[in-house]
Amino acid sequence: MEKLHKLLIHKIQKSRQVSISMRLRLFFFLLVLVFTMIAGIIVILLVTGTFSAGISASRQLLRDELTHSSKDISAQYGELSVQAIEFSKELTQKIDDNLKQQDILFSGLSDHPEKIEELVTDLFENTYYSLQKSNCSGAFFILDTTVNTSLPNSEYSKAGLYIKNMEPNIISATSPTFTILRGFSDIGRSNSIDLHTQWSMEFDVKDADYYKLPIEAYGKHKEIPISKLYYWSEPMQLPGTSEEVMVCTVPMIGPRNNVYGVCGFEISSMLFKLSHMPSNSTYSRMFCMLSPFGGNRVEINRSMFAGGYSVKEISKDNTELSVKEGKKSFITYISNNSNVYLGIQSAIQLYPGGSPFADKKWITAVLVPKEDIVDSITRLNIVLVCLLSLLITIGITISIVFSNKYLKPISKGIEIIKSENKEEAPKTNVQEIDDLINYLVLYQKELTKKVEQDKIQISMLEQFVTKTKTLTPAEHSVFNLYVKGLTAKEIADELFLSINTIKTHSKRIFAKLEIASREELLLYINMLKEIGLELK
Amino acid sequence: MKKKYVLLILVLLLIPAAILAIILLKPGEKKPVTLTLWHNYGGQMKDTMDEMIEEFNGTVGAKEGVFISVTSISGSSTLHDKLTMAANGDPGAPSLPDITTAYPKTALILAEKGLLVNLEEQFSDEELAKYIPRFIEEGRLNGDDLYVFPTAKSTEVLFVNTTIFDRFAADTGVTLEDLKTFEGIMNTSKLYYEWTDKQTPDIPNDGKTFYVPDSVFNLSYIGCKQLGSEFIQNNAINFTNPDTKTVWETFMTPATQGQFAIFEGYASDLAKTGDIVCSTGSTAGVAFFPPTVTYPDNTTEDAKLTILPYPTFEGGEKIAIQRGAGMCVIKSNPEKERMAGIFLKWFTSPENNLHFVASTGYLPVTEEAFGDIMLKEMDNISDENIQNLLQVSREMQAQYDFCISPLFDGVDLLQSNYETNIKAMATDSKEQYLFLLQSETAEDALGNTLDGKYEEFMKEFE
Repeated sequence: MEKLHKLLIHKIQKSRQVSISMRLRLFFFLLVLVFTMIAGIIVILLVTGTFSAGISASRQLLRDELTHSSKDISAQYGELSVQAIEFSKELTQKIDDNLKQQDILFSGLSDHPEKIEELVTDLFENTYYSLQKSNCSGAFFILDTTVNTSLPNSEYSKAGLYIKNMEPNIISATSPTFTILRGFSDIGRSNSIDLHTQWSMEFDVKDADYYKLPIEAYGKHKEIPISKLYYWSEPMQLPGTSEEVMVCTVPMIGPRNNVYGVCGFEISSMLFKLSHMPSNSTYSRMFCMLSPFGGNRVEINRSMFAGGYSVKEISKDNTELSVKEGKKSFITYISNNSNVYLGIQSAIQLYPGGSPFADKKWITAVLVPKEDIVDSITRLNIVLVCLLSLLITIGITISIVFSNKYLKPISKGIEIIKSENKEEAPKTNVQEIDDLINYLVLYQKELTKKVEQDKIQISMLEQFVTKTKTLTPAEHSVFNLYVKGLTAKEIADELFLSINTIKTHSKRIFAKLEIASREELLLYINMLKEIGLELK
Repeated sequence: MKKKYVLLILVLLLIPAAILAIILLKPGEKKPVTLTLWHNYGGQMKDTMDEMIEEFNGTVGAKEGVFISVTSISGSSTLHDKLTMAANGDPGAPSLPDITTAYPKTALILAEKGLLVNLEEQFSDEELAKYIPRFIEEGRLNGDDLYVFPTAKSTEVLFVNTTIFDRFAADTGVTLEDLKTFEGIMNTSKLYYEWTDKQTPDIPNDGKTFYVPDSVFNLSYIGCKQLGSEFIQNNAINFTNPDTKTVWETFMTPATQGQFAIFEGYASDLAKTGDIVCSTGSTAGVAFFPPTVTYPDNTTEDAKLTILPYPTFEGGEKIAIQRGAGMCVIKSNPEKERMAGIFLKWFTSPENNLHFVASTGYLPVTEEAFGDIMLKEMDNISDENIQNLLQVSREMQAQYDFCISPLFDGVDLLQSNYETNIKAMATDSKEQYLFLLQSETAEDALGNTLDGKYEEFMKEFE
């Protein structure tokens, strides 16, 4: 018996190890639901491009700004180029007139300061008004002559006039903002224009591409009209000055194809900065750049910058940007002090077709420090990831709580069912479980009742069996035949006795067994058979 | 076991929640701020300013998330006009910057419109105590509010081109000692005119000008102070003061005779072409004096500059003007104003202040920088002119009293009227004098030219 008990317990334990509890089962079901929903959300975010929304929005922003800046720069430079050509024509005419008036050849001007001064003074007004009406920060002309050829390096010293507008971005200023950067001091003084703090009398054209190149271009391509001979210098500092400028120069060609010099306009770095400043509220550090095209590198000192922030004003060591074309979104620019910028660029046309300088390519670019773009995109994605992880955690927690809550009444019900006092145990308040418990209570009651009845029956039968033992052998043989189901007549035949004898035996048997009839006797016998007892 | 799970869940909930909170609640924390700056440190000083701004942007600025962007470099008078236009919202005027250099007279206009930040909010008392008190005092407008922060100050000194002066002195026996007083300068100017006139014997009366004051108003204002009286009284020129006439004559008489230059611009302009030998002007002007003088035939000559303390009137006290624009912060938002404060602190820290001073000719603003540090650093300054200048400034700090420009509503107009009128009158007088010289002796011509001129001048201010 004990062995059997142990075997049973072992079997139950084994089955528990293999099977999963209902709570865990429910928890896993809920978990699957949670993850399905999260996966659904992620798919929706991916399909709608929410994760990459920052990148495409930034790209669009930069693209818009580049379109805008390129257009502005192109317009400003284009207009100035046209005005410079006009300026050259005007000055050339004026020079011719003046030379005639002074009765001197252009080549005869050298070493005649008074004649040169007269010529320059004559050209002052044109220069002054050209400066006033143009969107530029300076107007100048350089004559291929000098007041003193006996000075060292006089071959590089050229007479002329350079008027600078110190405040080109103000439309109306009450105080004079023009200064004379190069030219005769008396021209300034007689016109109430101060000399620039870095004034000198003549131009130093030793390394001046803006002087040499247009003149050389004219020398080589005399067939090219003057309108295509303008030249834009790279950003540079004129010798002895502190400000970076870009100048547009056009040669001045006399009637006998003799070169008088060049004239043109200036765009200072400040004018460029203020004219083309990107106005963007998303990226306050966005800036715009105009550079000569240099393949995979941009020289900072040969570029103009515009913006509230710029790669230029952050460190003296910043001299170069290396350019890495991105596969799809942005171009990466890395400065030599390892700052990284993202941006886009496009080519800009400064020269017309047929210009001797058409091979000089320029680009405009709009840049933003990488961290600004990455930060905004990362921020958005961190928020999304955080929200998703919060959702997952909340989902898991809810699954745990739900599966626990759901299983609690079932466990309680099982406990109740297992317990002795099902009736007195508190209700689970779950209808199905309470019904089950009620049913089990009723069932148990009926079962008990039946057992009680059975118990009485068994004791009656036991008494019956005991009483059979008081029968005489003759009575026993009659009784046995009764048990086999024979009638009194059949028993008389079987035992070869008279019916009366049998009746007498029967009376005694019935009296001893305390029964009234053969039917009652048969009932007892049947009952005994039912419970598996047989009379021996 | 159960506790462990609860803890794990809490941690899993808290981490993303915390990250979210940090990101969402402090969105502007790292957003970089750009501050626009207008300043008047142009020309040669621009390089130093650019260098310093680059340094700030690359170091403190990068750390604090602030970027200084210069959007205007103008002369101080243009800057004054620009600021006034911007403050009035005139058509075509640019919008005001976040930080600007400004003289108290400009700042007063902005402050009256409520556009300036009281900088006391950005500096603690302890921090302010480090600055030279009279510099801070000059920046307090409207009572107590500190609107103009001293970043670099200046005073006036006498600049002498000793290349020309020595040549002249060798012939005439004058010395630099003669230039210690305005009377001495007048006498020397007369001698110089005669000396230069003699060099072209065939052209009479073509002597050259010797001296020019950058500001005749400052000369008159300080001159009266030196003589112990007030040039300005009740917000007007004090014509009842006899010293006012003395200082007026100090300019008018030699100017009429062609010995002082009459010039609208800065003296350094005339120095470029050797049209003057000496001038009084701001210490900050030192950078604008050219290393060479250019003559009409484009020949150049190295110009040695000697700097002397501000001249005094005979018998007068040693008094000089204290000038120099400070920086003002325009009201915007607390974050920008705080960042502007950071820039001002950095810019005026002794080390950076001296860096600026060492290449511009301004004077440092903190006690520390003015004291031992300056003495130590002085030898390291490569520019000889600035070295001399700082030595003279230190001398003057010890010997001179300083006074600030008068400041009241309309001082700007009064000052420019005085300058314009006196120069216009001097120009006319000079013409008249030269005309009379053809028929009269120099003494008579001068007497006749200037007769009644002062009274006429007074009338223009009635």
